[in-house]
Amino acid sequence: MRLDARIIMVALLVAVLALPGWALAFQNEGTLRIGGMWALSGGAAFFGKSSLGLATLAMDEINEAGGVKVDGKAVKLTMAAQDDACNAEQGLAAVRRLASVDKVLFSLGPTCSSVAEPVFGTLQKKLGDTSDTGLQLLFFTDTATKFGLAKLSPWVFRNTPDEPGMYDFIVGYLKEKHPELKTVMVSYESDFAHSSATWKGALEPALKKHGHHQVTEVVDWRWQDTEMGAQVTKLRKASADVYFSLTHTISTCASMKEMKRQRVRPKMIVGITSLAGTEVLINCPDVAEGIISPSNFAPITPRAKQIADKAWDKYKADSNIHSVPAYENVHLVKSLIEKAAIKNTEESLLDDRRKVRDQLAAVGSFQGVLGKITMRPESDAVKPRDVDKDMLLVQIKSSKWTVFWAPPSLQQK
Amino acid sequence: MLDAMEQLINGLLYGALYALIGGGFSILFGVMRRFNMAYGSTIMAAAYVSLIPFTRFQAPAVVMVLAGVAMAVLVGLLVEFCCFRFIQKGHELAPLMTTIGALIVITEAIIHATDAVGLRYPSPFGEESLEVGRFLIRPDYLAVAVVGLVCFLVIFWIIHRTRLGLAMRAVAERPEAAQILGVNLRTVNTLTFVLTSALAGVIGFFAAVTVGSARPDLGVFATGKGLVVMVLGGLGSLPGAIAGGLLLGIVEFQATWFLGATFRDIVAFLILFAILVFRPSGLLGSRPH
Repeated sequence: MRLDARIIMVALLVAVLALPGWALAFQNEGTLRIGGMWALSGGAAFFGKSSLGLATLAMDEINEAGGVKVDGKAVKLTMAAQDDACNAEQGLAAVRRLASVDKVLFSLGPTCSSVAEPVFGTLQKKLGDTSDTGLQLLFFTDTATKFGLAKLSPWVFRNTPDEPGMYDFIVGYLKEKHPELKTVMVSYESDFAHSSATWKGALEPALKKHGHHQVTEVVDWRWQDTEMGAQVTKLRKASADVYFSLTHTISTCASMKEMKRQRVRPKMIVGITSLAGTEVLINCPDVAEGIISPSNFAPITPRAKQIADKAWDKYKADSNIHSVPAYENVHLVKSLIEKAAIKNTEESLLDDRRKVRDQLAAVGSFQGVLGKITMRPESDAVKPRDVDKDMLLVQIKSSKWTVFWAPPSLQQK
Repeated sequence: MLDAMEQLINGLLYGALYALIGGGFSILFGVMRRFNMAYGSTIMAAAYVSLIPFTRFQAPAVVMVLAGVAMAVLVGLLVEFCCFRFIQKGHELAPLMTTIGALIVITEAIIHATDAVGLRYPSPFGEESLEVGRFLIRPDYLAVAVVGLVCFLVIFWIIHRTRLGLAMRAVAERPEAAQILGVNLRTVNTLTFVLTSALAGVIGFFAAVTVGSARPDLGVFATGKGLVVMVLGGLGSLPGAIAGGLLLGIVEFQATWFLGATFRDIVAFLILFAILVFRPSGLLGSRPH
């Protein structure tokens, strides 16, 4: 009797584990599977959940408008979302599940560059190479921002910020508009690929290129650190004009509070791209007041405001520099699927992925939420399969993100 | 030199928080000879709940601490019931796994409830450092040190001057003999959980105050630090936990100041390694006979 109970329990467990596999379906059931892997738990869950919310919003809009036309038939999109918890091992398991169990057409995400790097390493390195057993799964990344990640595989495309370009602009802007601000101090998170890459791959080269600023102190801490008294004492000693805080919300808030305690008052504070979201406003709007951050998104147009409101009302998802690209990516791929003449069957899955990938490689420019986005060609020597898009500078004023600077194309809107 | 001194003072004060966390772990281990990996999540739960009276009624810090203590005792009793009570004798490692499970479940529950967004915590001790001579001292760290001292005095009084403390010491030394002499093991274990959970309530409030927010990773942070402090000081030794906590605070601050953040844990764990090699019983732990 006891053995029977155990067998039933095991059978139930197996059934539950297998559920996502057969809950999704191909065209014969009237659906098309798309996937995503984000940090849906752990310290980066705020970003992962926001991306999932915006991607789901786009999917809802497409489904409400009739779905995607595949082989002359309208099919609805379904989402298989995996949680990588911003953990490389979990990410590697998630990508295999998306490719082989969920059998998705393409995947969005991941959230963290430290997950993207090993995950993209498992993808095929050369298209059509039969000796390469790497996964043939198209990734259209919305968040993982570390420079150069799309170079890892021809199956990777990214709609992510161009940070070297952004910080090059900021340093040039400061040099031109505020030449009196000459000394710079920097903080970054040594265990967060995005943060350290922003310092070493974006800001440091920009400072060297423009040759105007003198770096007086560089300190580091870990991205979930909350005690940085020693580092802030070093910043206090440096007492530079401009402070580049290339850290994410958790440690930014803790460090800004410590700076307030130690009376460190730089004339200007510039944050990392990922700061430009609601999280920092929830956590520490008072000490973060005045921080300027480069971004590709702010709800400055009626459409952008509408999307941001809808995403918040429906999914409590924050529309920010990383999550809005997930929305844009789903809408773009919808149009590419319709052009690609895919079959959407289990047998045609590999061919379908390749067709959509090729469409994306040839997409050129497409319309984003704020403006035109241009996908760089595969032959691009610097950042193939990465996008160029308008950037703006946003600033926290009265506990809200406001536009500090916008290009003329966005100002007109 | 003055800067290093400032870091030394701040490290010592911050170490009081580590000492409190390690103290909670040590009392439980001392009495029950079992690890409670969910102790960190009890601290975290207290941190979140103590925020409620403030956000709802702008309640003062004392009310926040009391709310945290109440929640921590509730979570502690739940952990004792779910992870310890029904584990049979001879399976001493089983609670290690059940409490790791509890730690994960409670952490993920809070992540889902809050979307992993930290909740702002008030600064009841002021937002600017105090100028003491030529040093800047954080008022919240000073408060942690004072409260830590008071907590340890109360705990020492309970352990050495009350019937419960006598029973706890008897159970810690010889559980079978204590049982023969009429000590109810279950009652002592439960009351030990109540005592350490109440301490977790106080820790939760002060940990969140020093961090500036209640965050889901607080549980894992507290568990990690608590284990290191407990091993450093000597398993089950309360004075050892105090010494270990203060030492860890000083080492972390000095390593960060002189070598950088990436060396902080390296130096701390090298010291832990050295102590385990040259003094396996920890700084103040009793040597095995």
